[in-house]
Amino acid sequence: MLAFHTAFTKSGNSVLFAMDDRPHKAHRPSQSGAKVEKKKGKEKQQNSFNEKAFAPKSGRRAERQGRRNVEKDQTRLHVPLVNRTPDDEPPPVIVAIVGPPGVGKTTLLKSLVRRYTKQTLSEAKGPITVVAGKKRRLTFIECNNDLNSMIDIGKIVDLVLLMIDGSFGFEMESFEFLNVLQSHGFPKVIGILTHLDLIKKAATLRDTKKALKKRFWTEIYQGAKLFYLSGVLNGRYPDTEILNLSRFVSVMKFRPLVFRNTHPYLLADRLEDLTPRELIRTSKGKCDRTVTVYGYIHGTNLRLGTKVHIPGVGDLDVKSIAKLGDPCPLPDMNSEKRRKLSEKKKLLVHAPMSDVGGVVYDKDAVYVNVPGSFTRASRAVPQGEGEQMVMDLQDVNSTLEDGVARSSIKLFGSSSKALVVEDNTGRVEYEHEQQSDEEEDDGDGDDADSIISEDEGFSEDEEMEDDESDPSPGTPAHTGRSQRRQPTRVLPSIGKSSKRDIEYAESDSEFEYNEGDDNKRVRFDETDDHIPSDEDEDDEDGDEQDADNKENLPKWKRNISHLLESSSSQRPRRRDWTKLIYSSDLTPVQILSSNKEEDSRESENTSTEIDEFFHVKKSDSTNDDEMLDQTKDPLNPKALQQWEDEEMLDSIRNLFITGASAEDADEEGEGQGEGASFEDLEPGPVDTTDEKARADALAAKKAELKRKFDEQYDEPSSSNVDFYTEKKDEMARQLELNRAEFAAIEDPETRALVEGYAPGAYVRIELGDVPCELVNHFDPTYPIIVGGLLPAEERFGFVQVRIKRHRWYTRTLKTNDPLIFSLGWRRFQTVPIYSLDDHSIRMRMLKYTPEHMHCYGTFYGPVTLPNTGFCAFNTLTSDAPGFRVAATGVVLDIDRSVKIVKKLKLTGVPLKIFKNTAFIKDMFSSALEVAKFEGANIRTVSGIRGQVKKALPKPDGAFRATFEDKVLMSDIVFLRAWYSIEPRKFYNPVTSLLLSDKNQWSGMRLTGQVRRDEGQKTPLNVNSTYKRIERPERRFNPLKIPAKLQSALPYASKPKLMKAQSRQTYMQKRAVVMEPEEKKAVALMQQIRALRKDQVARRKEKKSERREAQRKKAEKEEAKQLEKDKEKRKEHMRAAGQKSKREAEAEEGRGPKRRKT
Amino acid sequence: MTLPSSLIQFSGHHYIRHRLVLSILSGKPIRIDKIRPDDKNPGLRDYEISLLRILEKATNGTVIEISVTGTALLLKPGIISGGTLTHECPLSRSVGYFLEPLVMLAPFAKKPFQLTLRGITTDDHDLSVDLVRTVTLPHLQLFGISDGLELRIKKRGSPPAGGGEVQFLCPIVKQVTTLNFVEPGKIKRIRGIAHAVRVSPQFSNRMIEASRSVLNRYIPDIYLYSDVYKGEDSGKSPGYALSLLAESTTSAIYCAEATSQPGVAPEDVALLATRSLLTEISKGGCVDERHQTLVLLMMVLGSEDVGRCRMGEPTLRT
Repeated sequence: MLAFHTAFTKSGNSVLFAMDDRPHKAHRPSQSGAKVEKKKGKEKQQNSFNEKAFAPKSGRRAERQGRRNVEKDQTRLHVPLVNRTPDDEPPPVIVAIVGPPGVGKTTLLKSLVRRYTKQTLSEAKGPITVVAGKKRRLTFIECNNDLNSMIDIGKIVDLVLLMIDGSFGFEMESFEFLNVLQSHGFPKVIGILTHLDLIKKAATLRDTKKALKKRFWTEIYQGAKLFYLSGVLNGRYPDTEILNLSRFVSVMKFRPLVFRNTHPYLLADRLEDLTPRELIRTSKGKCDRTVTVYGYIHGTNLRLGTKVHIPGVGDLDVKSIAKLGDPCPLPDMNSEKRRKLSEKKKLLVHAPMSDVGGVVYDKDAVYVNVPGSFTRASRAVPQGEGEQMVMDLQDVNSTLEDGVARSSIKLFGSSSKALVVEDNTGRVEYEHEQQSDEEEDDGDGDDADSIISEDEGFSEDEEMEDDESDPSPGTPAHTGRSQRRQPTRVLPSIGKSSKRDIEYAESDSEFEYNEGDDNKRVRFDETDDHIPSDEDEDDEDGDEQDADNKENLPKWKRNISHLLESSSSQRPRRRDWTKLIYSSDLTPVQILSSNKEEDSRESENTSTEIDEFFHVKKSDSTNDDEMLDQTKDPLNPKALQQWEDEEMLDSIRNLFITGASAEDADEEGEGQGEGASFEDLEPGPVDTTDEKARADALAAKKAELKRKFDEQYDEPSSSNVDFYTEKKDEMARQLELNRAEFAAIEDPETRALVEGYAPGAYVRIELGDVPCELVNHFDPTYPIIVGGLLPAEERFGFVQVRIKRHRWYTRTLKTNDPLIFSLGWRRFQTVPIYSLDDHSIRMRMLKYTPEHMHCYGTFYGPVTLPNTGFCAFNTLTSDAPGFRVAATGVVLDIDRSVKIVKKLKLTGVPLKIFKNTAFIKDMFSSALEVAKFEGANIRTVSGIRGQVKKALPKPDGAFRATFEDKVLMSDIVFLRAWYSIEPRKFYNPVTSLLLSDKNQWSGMRLTGQVRRDEGQKTPLNVNSTYKRIERPERRFNPLKIPAKLQSALPYASKPKLMKAQSRQTYMQKRAVVMEPEEKKAVALMQQIRALRKDQVARRKEKKSERREAQRKKAEKEEAKQLEKDKEKRKEHMRAAGQKSKREAEAEEGRGPKRRKT
Repeated sequence: MTLPSSLIQFSGHHYIRHRLVLSILSGKPIRIDKIRPDDKNPGLRDYEISLLRILEKATNGTVIEISVTGTALLLKPGIISGGTLTHECPLSRSVGYFLEPLVMLAPFAKKPFQLTLRGITTDDHDLSVDLVRTVTLPHLQLFGISDGLELRIKKRGSPPAGGGEVQFLCPIVKQVTTLNFVEPGKIKRIRGIAHAVRVSPQFSNRMIEASRSVLNRYIPDIYLYSDVYKGEDSGKSPGYALSLLAESTTSAIYCAEATSQPGVAPEDVALLATRSLLTEISKGGCVDERHQTLVLLMMVLGSEDVGRCRMGEPTLRT
């Protein structure tokens, strides 16, 4: 049998046969031999950690290594900053894709969206929010090539994906963007190299990568992450590369940046115009608009009552803020028990300006894209949500009038029950939507809901909230939807709160309403038992409520007051200062006095003495009107007489350390006066029974003891933690406290009133008086950022900055030339004055910024906190050549006045000179001027110092001056003075978003530019031209000393003037007769000299000849070189032209693609 | 081109100090009208005008416009500049009246404050300089304003002639720290200053004796200092006063004070002061009644973290 099988296998005909019968022989690794030895070595290397390799070999080395480790530890540390963003529900991380045009930004965006949501966008505009993980959402935004957008994006972005064309290298825009980032707090940057497939040669590719990486590292930091994307497949980057990139993005940690940590901001992902159509029509679209913007709050809490700044538009007033349901919610604990993100959640994407699922939001319309040819009959094809809705809309066959009639039922919009009964198409849909809203599980559904409302022209959510009973006719463009709809994109909490509003509104008018309604509103009555009993007591408040209800106040306002009251009145019987102070219009006097009465009425256990005391004090404070503004209350001996009583004296014994034990004291404290404890925000619960309180106190005590014990025995290291950890712990504790304090306020409205809207909330901000151009020229590719301003930042003043011209900016900056600053949220043009500190005595104006050095700059602008960075530009248009970042710097100081001086030199000449006194003219023009400068220091050019004394009567403006020495008539006398100057109050916000061509904003022009545009010549001051200085030869008269004086002088001092010799000297008059040899010698010498001269001349000539030849040769060489250069340049230009052509083709190639989809 | 800033309207002369201080701190212009319109002597008083003067001196760019009758006032606040200042206070109010608003402003100035005030140092309307030194400044220290915070009493001056001089030094802070102070604790020590000028030094000792007679029953840790100024430093008119402060285990401070009245024995003054201290203690809270405003203001001006503080019953000024 065995043999048979083997035979079979060997024949190789059927292995299957053999497998059935017997398994293969197990592999046995060989136990010896060279291979085994090799493997062993490898294994050892892999598995075991070789201590020897890392242990220091010597003491010195060990020391050095230790030091290095400590240094590395220190570089890890940063100044601890409080992170204002909540950890539980953080806002989406803003990821901007930045790069020059044609580098592949849109492709990357689409690839990333595809990676996260499995949806393909055909048109990616505006912010796109996706859920990236269980704790992270991402908002992608593509930054266009406009410098304005780059600046705005740079201020809000958390992570930059900086795209670089690998085949081309860095472009100027990238560097400009990096410089903008640097001055506004550096967010994280990941570089991405694309178009690497254009480089064919492997060696070139390697070199390019290396070079670009090196450059990138010098710009960001050594070791900054740089990705390489190879090529495009199916209009996307390769999936693996995108997956890698997305992994990096999802684990990225962010450090809070100071400016963003102190300012709320949001990146608007939707803009809606709420202005009544009629108003727009009558004003021909020129009226100021009311606009809502939607977005996630970032940074810190957004409070009510603050102004906001939209870069490119200006400062705007916030009319209202409403928290909406999260359109792209993070998976919560209930829906997600798994570790990974479920596939369903992965599909969430919120991109109102893009066409997700074929729906695009515009400023005033919603478009539904239908792929292919569309017929109403084609039911077989599964329809998208948008399609479905539009079809439904077309199905509606009731008239507007019908709709109005029916809509009158919907008085209290928030209660959906009333509407369930009816059944027409619109109704059913409505019900469905309501449910979906309540469930809040589907972000897309939410989106879709609001589409309809806008399509109908019912976008005025606010109106609907205001007067829901009012059957408004809507716009003429009404498509005939039968049912009025509730604003669906509101948070359930608001719905709930409006319900509560009704719950507490137990005044008569409300009840009438209820009676008039159908019987489906029974629940209002049911909820009545929630009404706190003491609401009745507060008559005044009740009146107020009535008044509120009768007047047609906006609903939300009504809500707030109700909520405040309700939330406060739910608290147990304790004087509620929050309520008294903030929500009643009593005067402080009334509040205090009424409380005292209440107190005396209610607290029976307080002693009568105190009661009496209060009364006395009250009368004090009311009748003594004049003396109110004093800190000390007048002492009242009568009231103080209570302390003569022994018992009274003993009663406060427990408040001293020698007094009774803690519990006793607590009890006493509780008993003796309710006002004794008052918490800043809201009183804690007190209605707990005594036992419970005691147990709590005991538990707290135990916990405290345990903590102390732990501290002492468990972790002795915790007591001596370093400063860094200590600070961090402190911050964490404070954050914890903040959370705990606000967690106690359950009601979101009240909470929003107190602390504002927390980061991470999706809100709708209504802005009033927005210039109509923002809406008219809205372009979704330009980001709209809503930056919250601190109260101080609305003011204006003189801002002093430390400024440095950017070293890549080619021109110097001149004082009083307009410059565009990007500071805080704002971009504005202003005229700075540059100055330097002159020996700490004065700030001296500089005409131009110094080279390679910081100087001070002062300009008029919005107040900004010191230490805020800024960058400045001369122009923001893209056609400006070269590097556009003109200067960078930091704010130093804000003031209302500035003290910058420039030097002023007044010159004069002597009129008459006495000994040390001289009359000076031509310095002033009148005696009055002289009077102003009496006592001023003057100086001559030669350095003789003096003083202005008094004006002379005769030549106007001449004065007497004294000097330390006699001056000359030829001396110029000058007076050095300082003239103080102030920057011009010019502030011109850059309103680029208001333009139709957003790139072409132009503010005040430079003088030169104006002259060029106007065709004017630069005025030429004759005195400013450079002329040849002609200095006449000075002739000094000979010094003449009178003979009498001369004779009196000592010999040494006598001028020793001697007459010139008149006779010829011997040397002059002698005759020379030479011997023959001598003659010969002289002649010979002459000949030799002549020869020599001739030789030198000839040599010189030859040399010059040689030089000439050389010059000619060099010329020839140069001509050749020039020719070569020309050739080279030609070659280069040809290549560049080809590239641009290719690019243009690529652009064209992309165009049709877009059209196709 | 300034933006039209919102003008805040007030009427009446009450709380003028607080209104001015809040206006300057918030930078919002205010207009106060109907200042004593029906009074025999209508309009602003001399001390109020003096206060406006000193505020103008302490700030840069402040515009103050007072109507012809003095019954209306417009304040466009500037920036708190600080620096060295000297001011002569009128004799109608004591130095404490001027010190209080300046204490609120000083930490937020640009340069450290160095302020010299001359006038009455102690009267029965405003905090005496002793209380400012021993109570107000410790309250500022709760907010991290401590290094270089000092009030030097150079000379004392009693009403009516005054002649005192104090020097107030205050550092500047970047940000006041967040207060978390909810545990009032128990009184562990009582301190006091009995001062007497141009009267017999024995007066202060008598006041101390009387006060001790009441307080000794509670705790042993009572130190009452006798502070007698002589000659030049004692001002122009005679007077004496006792200021007391009680400090708890958590360093909450309560204070009280009584000043001399004509025809009242020093013992009675001392008893008055002592008893008002006991009243103050019985009211509880972590913050002295007179400093509620200051503490609340500082809490508001702090960072956006939540601060907590337990206080006694609010007063009218609060």
